Amino acid sequence: MALLEIKDLHACVGEKEILKGVNLCFEPGEVHAIMGPNGCGKSTLSAVIAGHPSFQITQGDILFKGQSILNQTPDVRANKGIFLAFQHPVELPGVGLAQFLKTALNAKRSFLGQAQMDGVQFMKHMNLRAKALGITPDMLKRPVNVGFSGGEKKRLETFQMAMLEPDFCILDEMDSGLDVDALKVVGQGLSVMREPNRSFMIITHHDDLLQYIQPDKVSIMRDGQIVTTGGVDLVHQVEEQGYDHFR
Amino acid sequence: MIISDNRFFLSSTAGVVVERPASSKWIFQVSENGFLQGDFLQVNGDLDISVLLNGIDAKCELNCGYLLNDNNKINIKIHVEHKCSKTISNQQIRGLATGNGEACFNGTITIPHNSQKCDGHQNHRAVILSDTARVLSVPQLEIWADDVKCAHGSAIGPLNKEQLFYLQTRGLTESQARKILLSSFFNHFSSMEFDGIIQDWMAHYV
Ligand SMILES: Nc1ncnc2c1ncn2[C@@H]1O[C@H](COP(=O)(O)OP(=O)(O)O)[C@@H](O)[C@H]1O
Ligand SMILES: [Mg+2]
Repeated sequence: MALLEIKDLHACVGEKEILKGVNLCFEPGEVHAIMGPNGCGKSTLSAVIAGHPSFQITQGDILFKGQSILNQTPDVRANKGIFLAFQHPVELPGVGLAQFLKTALNAKRSFLGQAQMDGVQFMKHMNLRAKALGITPDMLKRPVNVGFSGGEKKRLETFQMAMLEPDFCILDEMDSGLDVDALKVVGQGLSVMREPNRSFMIITHHDDLLQYIQPDKVSIMRDGQIVTTGGVDLVHQVEEQGYDHFR
Repeated sequence: MIISDNRFFLSSTAGVVVERPASSKWIFQVSENGFLQGDFLQVNGDLDISVLLNGIDAKCELNCGYLLNDNNKINIKIHVEHKCSKTISNQQIRGLATGNGEACFNGTITIPHNSQKCDGHQNHRAVILSDTARVLSVPQLEIWADDVKCAHGSAIGPLNKEQLFYLQTRGLTESQARKILLSSFFNHFSSMEFDGIIQDWMAHYV
């Protein structure tokens, strides 16, 4: 059974249709890159999978582990194992990152019927992952995303994903704004997370991040639809020729 | 227990003469090098604060919060006058409004012609939690000196939807997310005096 399946999905904002019949399938363990020109609906697709309330689903379905999630709130989807690393993470003044992650992690554990993590267990869980992604203790104390550079915000998104250990990871332009060193840190962080039961949907315009986490499939999106699905060679076609000849 | 009386906590009055001509009215005279730091929590009625920064390097930090519910009316007036050069002021005002309440904040910073190198800040943020609560902000800057820094800002509206969504995508329920965002809102107070009152109020009204 597919981990996540998107069937003929149509989504609107007000009168405007943005997703116009998306079909996609993610097998367990699969890394699937999504590429497409600006404005074709990639971020909308990510937000819709995560349950953003601004978009109305007018047709189609999203199945996660075999069940429709369309009627579920974003927190239920998250606790079932869907994680969205945002293209533009929002700032949360006054909300400390470590404190908030502890609440989030324990919310997930209680949803799954697991015991709460105490302070010591949590610190161990956190320090290990923070170190791997170059997140300093100072960054953990600061309010979420406030005053961080673009690249740091992306690293913090990856860190949160590593903390919550989701089954389905959506990375929306994770590589935009990263310098070579940050790209390496994030890339290695992702490749460590690759597991037989965990799938990745990686939205990108380039080959850079995919060097660290080889995609099994690549799909091209245009104007609210998937127009082609193929292998890694599609990435190189895009890099050389752009999106124009994909229709 | 939801309180019905207004509260205050003065954490520093070094070099400050404090006058309180009425229960809702305060006058603070801050002399050279003096430091006024005060927290005020308003749940009903008027609060009228005047601060006169009279000597060089006089400093004031006013942290106000208000909790508005039912048919209550809150009127907060703060006037800071930089009567001397190199004086510093910072006013931070945070409010939560629900029910049919009405809140009005009037904040004035005056920097006369002769007061150079002053620094005046004022920031008012309020979250409106019902369709019928009303919050009004009237900032007034009277700056006559040229070599000064002065900034004011105001943000009034419902809770930010994108912030709520972000927290929910991390597994927090909408109500947990609201509580986190609203609690973080009041972290400007210099003391923890009002923490319990604010938590109780949120448990009751949010
Ligand atoms: N909340 C919204 N309101 C109105 N239009 C939107 C909204 N969100 C996205 N759009 C529009 O939908 C289209 C797709 O946007 P987006 O999904 O961000 O594209 P991509 O991520 O592929 O660059 C764009 O034309 C964008 O302007
Ligand atoms: Mg996008």
